[in-house]
Amino acid sequence: MDPEKAQQLAAELEVEMMADMYNRMTNACHRKCVPPHYKEAELSKGEAVCLDRCVAKYLDLHERLGRKLTELSVQDEEMMRKNAIGQ
Amino acid sequence: MATPVNSGNVPVSDTQSSTLADPRYEGSTFQYSMLLEHLIGEKRPIKDLNPTVMGGLPNPMKTDDQKMIERGMESCAFKAVLACVGGFVLGGAFGVFTAGIDTNVGFDPKDPMRTPTAREVLKDMGQRGMSYAKNFAVIGAMFSCTECIIESHRGKSDWKNAVYSGCVTGGAIGLRAGAKAGVLGCGGFAAFSAAIEYYLR
Repeated sequence: MDPEKAQQLAAELEVEMMADMYNRMTNACHRKCVPPHYKEAELSKGEAVCLDRCVAKYLDLHERLGRKLTELSVQDEEMMRKNAIGQ
Repeated sequence: MATPVNSGNVPVSDTQSSTLADPRYEGSTFQYSMLLEHLIGEKRPIKDLNPTVMGGLPNPMKTDDQKMIERGMESCAFKAVLACVGGFVLGGAFGVFTAGIDTNVGFDPKDPMRTPTAREVLKDMGQRGMSYAKNFAVIGAMFSCTECIIESHRGKSDWKNAVYSGCVTGGAIGLRAGAKAGVLGCGGFAAFSAAIEYYLR
């Protein structure tokens, strides 16, 4: 497939991917950082610090895993093509 | 991550890489790697990330000034200054009050029956108030600063922060009078903090 089609498809999937990532990140960080006993509406300092760290880690993880996945995907495809040619 | 990976093969006519140019290879599989590069790899577009785009509730973006002010107000230094000023005022009031009920002001050993003059009383009240105020201010600032630092480090907001910082403050104060007084100060202040936290929570 040519890069144009890939880019178009990616643009369509992008929105859904970002929304999904945002939802998962919000849920995960909320579960980790905000204990379920609410005594006031404002985020306390500890919780705010924890959320900063959580988001940074989540995005870092997302990027690293994405790079690794792309690498593995490329290798996988090369291998499959070689197998297909070899047959 | 949300990219769906199905196992079906999609035949495509265009070929890109060297292995694909091989005439024996017909019907290449769907190039997930290319798609992934555009989604999460090198070629992804630079986006302006805000909750409106990503599916959260749309809210007006805060200006840089507003963010700076809010960050300053949440910072440990600001809280320490606030506690210092509050401690100063409280200490001053406390000192003046205790000076008012103290019967030993202006005591002259040569003439025990002499009533102290108003100037002496006022001067004593002022001195006492100032001394208490300074002490309270220092204690308040230290407690608030250490509590904020400990809470930032732990990333949690519970009663243990106050206990730890109470121990540090009490220990620092008591350490000037020796190691044993330091330990005692730590324990005492920590217990006091724990009681206050229990009451507040």
